[in-house]
Amino acid sequence: MPPSTDLLQGTLDLLILRTVALAPMHGWGIAQRIQQVSQDALQIGQGSLYPALHRLEYKGWIQADWGASENNRKAKYYSLTKTGRKQLEAELQNWSRLSTAIALVLK
Amino acid sequence: MLKEWLTRFRFLIVSKPPHEIDEELQFHLDKQTQANIATGMTPDEAKRQAVIAFGGIELARAQSYEQRPNFYLDTLIRDLRFAIRGFRRSPLFTFTIVATLMLGIGATTAVFSVVDRILFRPLPYAQADRLVSLGLVQSLATQEFMAGGFYYDWRERQQPFEMLSAEGAAPIECDLTEHNPRQLSCAKAEASLLSMLGVSPILGRNFLPEEDSPHGPKVALISYSLWHMRYNRDPKILKNLIEIDGNQVQVVGVLPRSFELPSLHEADVIFPLAFDEAAQRKLNPGMPVRAFARLKPGVNIDQARAQLVPLFQSTSLIIPPEIRKDFHLRVRSLRDRQMQDVRSVAWLLLGTVLAVLLIACANVASLLLARGAVRARELAVRSALGASRSRLARQAITESMLLSLIGAMAGYVLAKCLLLIFLAIAPASIPYLSQTQLDLRVICFTTLLSLLCGLVFGIVPALQKPNDDMLSARTFRSTSHAAIRQSLVIAQISASMVLLAGAVLLLRSFWNLRNQQIGIRTESTLTAGITLGPQKYGTNEQEFAFFQQLTTHLRYGPGVSLVAVTDSLPPAENHNRMRFSSIGHSGKPPSASANGGLITYRWVSPDYFRALDIPLLQGEGFNEKELSSNDHFVVIGKTLADRLFPGKSPLGELLLLDEGISAGVGDIVKKSSQSINSYKIVGVAADVKNGGLSGEDLPEYYRLRRDRAEDWNRSGVWGISTFIVIRTSVPPKMIAPWIHSQVAAIDPTLPVDIETMQQRVSKLADQPRFQTFLVGFFAASGLVLAVIGLYGVISFIVTQRTQEIGVRMALGASKSSIFSLVLRKSLRLIAWGITLGVLTSLAVARILSSLLFGISPRDPVTFVAVTLLLAFVALAATLIPARFATRVNPLEALRND
Repeated sequence: MPPSTDLLQGTLDLLILRTVALAPMHGWGIAQRIQQVSQDALQIGQGSLYPALHRLEYKGWIQADWGASENNRKAKYYSLTKTGRKQLEAELQNWSRLSTAIALVLK
Repeated sequence: MLKEWLTRFRFLIVSKPPHEIDEELQFHLDKQTQANIATGMTPDEAKRQAVIAFGGIELARAQSYEQRPNFYLDTLIRDLRFAIRGFRRSPLFTFTIVATLMLGIGATTAVFSVVDRILFRPLPYAQADRLVSLGLVQSLATQEFMAGGFYYDWRERQQPFEMLSAEGAAPIECDLTEHNPRQLSCAKAEASLLSMLGVSPILGRNFLPEEDSPHGPKVALISYSLWHMRYNRDPKILKNLIEIDGNQVQVVGVLPRSFELPSLHEADVIFPLAFDEAAQRKLNPGMPVRAFARLKPGVNIDQARAQLVPLFQSTSLIIPPEIRKDFHLRVRSLRDRQMQDVRSVAWLLLGTVLAVLLIACANVASLLLARGAVRARELAVRSALGASRSRLARQAITESMLLSLIGAMAGYVLAKCLLLIFLAIAPASIPYLSQTQLDLRVICFTTLLSLLCGLVFGIVPALQKPNDDMLSARTFRSTSHAAIRQSLVIAQISASMVLLAGAVLLLRSFWNLRNQQIGIRTESTLTAGITLGPQKYGTNEQEFAFFQQLTTHLRYGPGVSLVAVTDSLPPAENHNRMRFSSIGHSGKPPSASANGGLITYRWVSPDYFRALDIPLLQGEGFNEKELSSNDHFVVIGKTLADRLFPGKSPLGELLLLDEGISAGVGDIVKKSSQSINSYKIVGVAADVKNGGLSGEDLPEYYRLRRDRAEDWNRSGVWGISTFIVIRTSVPPKMIAPWIHSQVAAIDPTLPVDIETMQQRVSKLADQPRFQTFLVGFFAASGLVLAVIGLYGVISFIVTQRTQEIGVRMALGASKSSIFSLVLRKSLRLIAWGITLGVLTSLAVARILSSLLFGISPRDPVTFVAVTLLLAFVALAATLIPARFATRVNPLEALRND
């Protein structure tokens, strides 16, 4: 397993929001997807994934519904809410501003 | 943002079932296991790897749980439950802290509420901090006054004030002569007074400038209470006329309920001052007035005084040069004018309350510290089990808060009770006390203070990094706070030393006050004060006729043996005064010099001396024959006799006395020599107290009030009452209604103020009694708190050292050596505390000196007695834990822990 990059403070929220924006997904799916898309560079520690999911749910940015999984098991699916979508926009803008700034400094 | 909160709130109401998270995590693990099997692992290995990959399942679950919006509430409830369990386990600790807080918060709040009314009460005027009282003072008139002869000049030429206005010198009696006649108090004020104060009538309007002139229409403002009591708050009052002293008067306005004249004189009706300005300007000195003013913004009182000096200097030219230097300019804030010398009492109370609060806080602090030390091991265990430091601190805060809240509630109840007691015993001479209510701000302040105190000392033990040694060590080694606790005890002892010393000084001063010889008889002596209105009794003849008729009736009352008439009563201070130098006698003509101080005099009837049992040292005093004589007669007091006629008998000598001295402005202008009469001295009376109970006595003489109209001159400008002294063998309760009926038979509108002589004297002691009681109360509560604190600390030390004591005993230490070991420790604390306390009391004793009578503020007997008392009580508080230490069973002490 390649060494996982430490996640910047607050970026986990952004990653989760971005991931569930595509389609409703359960926790394991979110972790897998982030890992795949980042080509195994980002390993989400499950220990912090679930508290983050719950926090976002309580904030009302994502909502959870029980649904059936691929092999017909009960699973909790998370999807983006309207406020969540707005929040995602804002966070994305923030992120691009931040990364441009860091890139400028590092050049 | 709002939506976010709504979501949180929804989750707060319908919280998710706790098993959801378990299912969710389980699903995750199963999913991972499947994935692992798909890569070719055995099912068992796949499961193991899944769990490893996940990390701490429990932690994830707990952390997810902590995200819940009601997590804090849950924690709080759990902390509260835990705290209450802890309180139940140690009821003594809980009770002590709550009692301490209750006493501290309750006493402080009650007294702050009282003092707040006196010192910081908002005056019922707009921007009252800019209002001042100004005028001239001299030894004969100690409240600042002005007079028409220069008031108008000042008003015109003054610089520092936005507005200067005046009220009449004093309200006078007047009669409401409609159906159901009633005596009222009528004051006068300039039309500008209300606007200067920033007050407007709640009904109708203020006087118009043209109404404030000598021939203006008869108009008046009435007080809210008159409007309420007499006219049922009828707004039609403005359309009707009321009849005062037989004149039809138009009411133009009703004053607000909170209104009071700046002089604090009570007035039911206010008339326009209506002076003839042009005529007053020419007079010397003119009619007296009380002047008040509003400072211009940015001008302070000192600047105003400096700016008034030129005016004062030009005015002082009208004062006879001999006494000119006795006159001073005074400008002071309205609040100072109204509060007079009550301030010192208020500050005294504030000081004692702060001392009690200090002791209470120290108690709470040292108790919490001791408890923290006892619980050090518990904290260490909880920390080892994973409680974070913030979690422990939160728990400690919850406990302190809970204690403070309970204490505050109990304190509030105590404050309510205390306030009722204060009001019951408070003298009438402290203004506004009767309106005192518990002040919410004050309660919040004291509660906050105790919270702060609890928080600081509650958190300290929790914040310390729990020591791992605590878990393994067999004994507590918590000595880190010992020094703090001991200095707290020292502070407590010294604070209660200061309190006790003050209380005992006041108590002894009060004792002196009540047990001094006042020179008159107070038993079975009744007095009736009557003030006649100038309208109905405008002439000397009418006043004389009234009292002649009344005394004749009273002489035949049940059990009445003597009836005397006087214009003032000792030992109170309010009576006529004049300069010593203005008395002349055969060898020396009267002069107008200000040297020689003041003397006092009364107008009395012949039986006055017998009615009050004042012995006549020489001569026979007045007799009935002199009542109808053409000559004037006088009896002089012993001090005056010794001063005027040293070494020889004054009997038969003549005194040259001025007839009309106006009490308000004093002798601001020279009197014409025509008003001086010669009085024959017919007796020398023993001295009586005449400066109040604690004031300085003045030399005194008595003029005979003959049965001639000229002696019944209403000479004073401030309004003069007449007192009838009745010696009777019948209990006062029975004879008082009879006196009322006798007065009513002559004039049903007249109010009579009936009191026994004992009541009048005792009333003078009201204020000393009040302050003595309060300070004594605080000293007692302070002492109790300090003793509790000392007991707590010493017994804590003993508990901590139980094992050490056990070892000592096992090694052969005797009981007495253990006993002295413990005692030595507390003796050191007591000695330090008392030393500091004595030094502090000596330093602050000066503050007390103005309130003490017949005792020095550094009275050595008091200090020795208080020191012994405190040492004794403090030692007693340590005896119990010390004896406990001697009963330690060495075997058990060593086996335990």
